[in-house]
Amino acid sequence: MSYKVRLQSFEGPFDLLVYLIENAEMSIYDIRISEITSQYLAYIRTMQEMDVYVGSEFMVLASALIEIKSKMILPRVVDPGDGSVVEEDPRSELVARLLEYKKFKNAAEMLQEKEERCSHIYAKPQEDISAYLEQPDEYLSLDLRQFAGAFNLFLQKKQKVDSVRRHYTRIERERARMEERISYIASMVRKSLGQVFSFREFIRDKKDRYDVVVTFMSLLEMAKNRIVQVDQASTYGDIQVSAGQNVDGTVSLDMPGMTDFADFAEAAEAAEGVKTQKGKGQEGELYGQ
Amino acid sequence: MASKKSIKSALESMMFVWGEPLDVKTAADVFNMNRQEIYDCFLELQKEYEQEGRGIVIREVNKAFQFVTREENADYIERLCTPVKARRLSQSALEVLAIVAYKQPVTKGEIEAIRGIKCDRVMDGLIKKELVCEKGRSDAVGRPILYGTTDAFLKNFGFSSLKELPPIDDLEGVMAADVEVEVEKDSDGNPIMEGQMKIEI
Repeated sequence: MSYKVRLQSFEGPFDLLVYLIENAEMSIYDIRISEITSQYLAYIRTMQEMDVYVGSEFMVLASALIEIKSKMILPRVVDPGDGSVVEEDPRSELVARLLEYKKFKNAAEMLQEKEERCSHIYAKPQEDISAYLEQPDEYLSLDLRQFAGAFNLFLQKKQKVDSVRRHYTRIERERARMEERISYIASMVRKSLGQVFSFREFIRDKKDRYDVVVTFMSLLEMAKNRIVQVDQASTYGDIQVSAGQNVDGTVSLDMPGMTDFADFAEAAEAAEGVKTQKGKGQEGELYGQ
Repeated sequence: MASKKSIKSALESMMFVWGEPLDVKTAADVFNMNRQEIYDCFLELQKEYEQEGRGIVIREVNKAFQFVTREENADYIERLCTPVKARRLSQSALEVLAIVAYKQPVTKGEIEAIRGIKCDRVMDGLIKKELVCEKGRSDAVGRPILYGTTDAFLKNFGFSSLKELPPIDDLEGVMAADVEVEVEKDSDGNPIMEGQMKIEI
């Protein structure tokens, strides 16, 4: 009695039993219990000798086999009439379970074949189809009348906004005034008499056109009152400022026309602002309709 | 209504873009048509590819269709790009999977009863591979979890639906035939031993 054992190949007690039965070329319906039981136990013993852990499941089946073996020794109750065995064969439950197991073992083999075959079939993994999914650009499909209507609506809206603007004005932080600028320049000049200043030194915010204008206006006013002396070497050249004859004098801005200049500076600014607003409105608001 | 030819043509294009199996339901929604009609178109298209012996064939996975390569061409593909081989399932995993496939929905207890051994670890592996998933709970004591197979199982094993699983009785038939031979031998004159089981077929 010899059998080859590939340890890993037994997936459970039934697997081992099926192997032993098939190896001994027995019919599964007519298991020679005694032979199989001893083989089965021998296998378990070998396992234990090799110090391999034998699962309790194997032991359960071993005891079941021994039980069947002992039952088989008992004499049979035979029906006196037709001579058939009344008592159920002690192996029948085992056979039923083995058959059930074999059924699925065969199914597993079938699956293995299927898997092998399917490994020869390749599918493309899902590709990145986001290129097709992205939101396309929206186009306004309008006929001429709709388009004109939309433009009209825009004009009406603009009119409304304008009328509101006419009634309400934005209040901004008060900006530098000429009086302040004049007193600032005067104090600078008085502090260091005889020094020649550049016009630019008096401009606080060189990027602000309003500031430049205010400074320039103040200088003109002060020059007029001879508080400072103003020199320009060439056209567009730097304006040089130094103390004038009347350096300690004051400037009265209550003269007619003075405020006009301040207004002018503000008006120039406002004109610029409107220009940029118009540009924005054309792009944004029409689209929003 | 679009002609059958144009629908099939459209389905072909859709499958090309989609890559993954294209659900009949999704496709039917595109055409705003009856699912059965679209399904038939898919099947016809599949047949056409099959008959023409194209290198691309159409595979059905649970009422969804996908372009795949022809099995016979595997050698060439492997020579071309040595694709990654998925690790084969172990014997025990295949057994458990077979039981789940045929007996679903099924509990672990039932699987263990058939195999005579615990199957927790194997089940975990199958669930991780997304071949098996939970399908609710049994009404039995303890409300054990019921398991069933997934679409990935159908795909990996080349079944278009669970109905395509070969009937397990056929598998049994192999053994029944085996027994028949035995029985004949006995009836040839070998005395029936005392205690030998009688088999009625």
